Amino acid sequence: MDELTREFLIESQEGLDRMERCLTDLEERPQDTELLGEIFRSVHTIKGTTGFLGFKRLEKLAHTGENLLGLLRDGKLSANQPIISGLLKLMDALRGVLRTIETHNHEGEGQDAHLDEQLIALLVELQRPGAVPVTVESQVSISAARETAAPETHLSPANAKPSPPALLDSDTAPAPPAAFAIAAGPKQSAEPTPDANKPKVGAASDSTLRVDVVLLNRMMNLVGELVLTRNQILQATALDPSFTMLSRRLDMVTADLRESVMKARMQPVSNVFSKFPRIVRDLSQMLHRKVRLVMEGQETELDKSLLEAIKDPLTHAVRNSLDHGIEMPDVRIAAGKDPEGTLKLRAYQESSHVIIEVSDDGAGIGVERVRSKAIERGLITAERAAQLGERELLQLIFLPGFSTAEAVTNVSGRGVGMDVVRTNVEKIGGKVELESRAGNGTTLRLRIPLTLAIIPALIVRSLSQSFALPQGALSELVHIPADRIATAVEWIEGAPLYRLRGQLLPLIFLDRMLSPNMPKATSNPSDSGLEGLPDRDHFVCVLDADGRRFGLVVDGLADPEEIVVKPLSAVLKTIGLYSGATVLGSGVLALILDPGSIATRAGVTMSRAEEQSDMEVEDEEDAMRSKFLLVEAGERRAAVALADVIRIERLPMHRVEYVGYRPVLNFQGHLLPIEDSAGVFAAAGGDPEAQIIVVVCREGNRQVGIAVSHVLDVATGDELREAGSQHRADGVTLLNEHVTGIVDLRAIPPLPVSSLSEERQHTQWDQVSEEIAETIA
Amino acid sequence: MSTKSVTKSSLAVHKQASAPVLLEMCSVRVGSTLFGLPITHILEIVGHTCPQDVPLAPEFVGGLVHYRGDVLTTVSLRQLLGLSRQNANAKGGNVSSHDIIVLESSAGCFGLLVDSVGEVLTVSSSDHELNPSTLDAHRSALFAGAYKLQQGLLVMLDPERLDPMHLGAVAA
Repeated sequence: MDELTREFLIESQEGLDRMERCLTDLEERPQDTELLGEIFRSVHTIKGTTGFLGFKRLEKLAHTGENLLGLLRDGKLSANQPIISGLLKLMDALRGVLRTIETHNHEGEGQDAHLDEQLIALLVELQRPGAVPVTVESQVSISAARETAAPETHLSPANAKPSPPALLDSDTAPAPPAAFAIAAGPKQSAEPTPDANKPKVGAASDSTLRVDVVLLNRMMNLVGELVLTRNQILQATALDPSFTMLSRRLDMVTADLRESVMKARMQPVSNVFSKFPRIVRDLSQMLHRKVRLVMEGQETELDKSLLEAIKDPLTHAVRNSLDHGIEMPDVRIAAGKDPEGTLKLRAYQESSHVIIEVSDDGAGIGVERVRSKAIERGLITAERAAQLGERELLQLIFLPGFSTAEAVTNVSGRGVGMDVVRTNVEKIGGKVELESRAGNGTTLRLRIPLTLAIIPALIVRSLSQSFALPQGALSELVHIPADRIATAVEWIEGAPLYRLRGQLLPLIFLDRMLSPNMPKATSNPSDSGLEGLPDRDHFVCVLDADGRRFGLVVDGLADPEEIVVKPLSAVLKTIGLYSGATVLGSGVLALILDPGSIATRAGVTMSRAEEQSDMEVEDEEDAMRSKFLLVEAGERRAAVALADVIRIERLPMHRVEYVGYRPVLNFQGHLLPIEDSAGVFAAAGGDPEAQIIVVVCREGNRQVGIAVSHVLDVATGDELREAGSQHRADGVTLLNEHVTGIVDLRAIPPLPVSSLSEERQHTQWDQVSEEIAETIA
Repeated sequence: MSTKSVTKSSLAVHKQASAPVLLEMCSVRVGSTLFGLPITHILEIVGHTCPQDVPLAPEFVGGLVHYRGDVLTTVSLRQLLGLSRQNANAKGGNVSSHDIIVLESSAGCFGLLVDSVGEVLTVSSSDHELNPSTLDAHRSALFAGAYKLQQGLLVMLDPERLDPMHLGAVAA
């Protein structure tokens, strides 16, 4: 049985339990509209979901009941006893079908068809005001009807012979037929469903529990708190060996707990995927396309709030695929494709992200069409468009107002599509990637973080306070040393600017922005220049807030940290510059800066089209490819691709720990495997205070460290070719006139994460395996 | 809202009431005045904390403190009364240490920064007097009358009126 059905069973069971309670109450207070509303909702929910799951029998029953309940709710009919007993009968029938679904995984369509029909007829009959005489004797038949709350067998064809046509007509309702075991009396019949039914239905609902999201949020909050306390304890006890074991244990338990609580908030993406079969069917009929929907990885789990947030973007993406991607059947045949197009929804987890792919095997995106449409809609100038490459052109479809649709239909074409997708996904810290092969289809990839509550941030210092800057908006950091500050910052009439690779970047001084009382060099052109700037180191955080690029100048940088976002009270939210607050590992509070609001307040506007800054990054990345960090490890020189380098750490030897023979570094619970094939650690001798240098690199989704003796230079590498064959030589590059080996990060084996040995194994650490030894060559 | 009405009525009990009700008030000192807060609204008293400044926040905000996994906005009573920030250094840093009373109001929780927290006093509703008419408008908006004690006056504070949301709305 799939998750959705199981959930439906639990939900319906709960609904029916509620309905039963309300029905019994209703007998005493027939005019209570709240009770009626509650019953109506229960039946309505069941009806809504069944239609969608394809349980026709259930749907038919629930639908009839809903009609009757609708009349009751609207006051067109008052709840008399025959109606109530009819409803109870309906409830029992619904229970019966639910049981069949749970045990046999189908609703037994066609089974007991005449019983269903009778019940439906009865319910329809009841909808006519005054159709059923209300007499005292009806009490009997009520109890009879209730007893059908009844073991499943009562509904089986064998026993279900001629039930009287007007079961509830008290005059003609003698002892109900064998199937309806007669009740001892009204009192007993008021008991809920006989126990015999319970175990089966209970099976699904016993193992799960519905928990208020508020409570979960509270738990998440407390766990976050525990994580912070743990960090502080780890810091405080780092020097005391007697505490090490204890604090490690605390560390582990906390990590487990955090994971469990996070898991509790997780829901399978099938909750969102499940609505697509319907959408795809309706849309493909409307658009006269033949589409087969394939869904994969529905069990992938995502935080509930994130799941809500991706609903709309996914719907947009699916609509787009159907309308623009998959062609008409005849076009497809002409192109030699299966007339039936395939739309694939795929979800999978990749380290700390969940990837959701919407791919189709349609026509792909016509790059030239995108180009001409973008020019036509005035989103880009013709000259610029001519310079753009294929990848940049694809990015254009994310611009607000872009659409290639010839006409506005109610499916798409209004030009609010992809930009909404991107905005919504970025709002939750995700990313959108687009891949398209002309003629072969398009793949849209949504990269969603696993959780919202914890975000990576860079801690910066200003006004002798710490502030957290979300990493998502941060594109690079520039250090301006004290002696260069006077020349590096240029001014246009009081507006400070920095030349970043030839482009002028507007600067915002965080301290000036946050303390309006400080003398403003910016507002007074006369002291523009260096006068306003103190003679110390400055750091420029180059931020990209919704396409607005600017440099935020801060006094200092601290570590990057995974922060737990805490909401601010309303009175502080109105300031607008802070999106929340967090408690750092040191126990200090830090406000989380909102780059978008800072840009708005400082009046930074989108000076250039957004795609231009994207392009810059592209160019920059290309440039980075050929740039290398030249390091010396042992006696040899080696090159590390600069694009892969995240940071360079200099730390004392005693920070290095071992997992088996492998040296690792522990960064606040994140293990970084260290590659030391050159024997740098051995060269440091046994001195725990000896300083070592570790180049932290990105390899795929993981990070690895390379131990080096010195970092020498950053240089541009030239490619080398084999003499004669002219084949490009892999793994080596020409750096500063020397042939230098490039460190192959992929060759560094992953950590055996699941089998982490807890003990340090000092003795084995120099058994560096052969293949590792070759990586730094 | 129910808590509010309880407070209001309890504070408003007059001498005429036949049987005086005994109430427990937590006494706090700010400057030279003794203030009282109904203990029913106090969640916790946190001593010696250093609130973190929030640049650009309204004046009355005393900063943020970390309280049981949440970030709590505090209100500086000194600031509200127009007194200088105690011990605050020139740079507006967070070196000053305060006692914080965590209060619950209808809108949520907040902290009240005071100089020191005293004992819990039992007062009788028969000793309650309304704000004197000579009190300036700003103060009479904050105070909820006073109790006459042997050792002096206990000026009552109403948590609802000290709530940062309320203060923010009044200031705006």
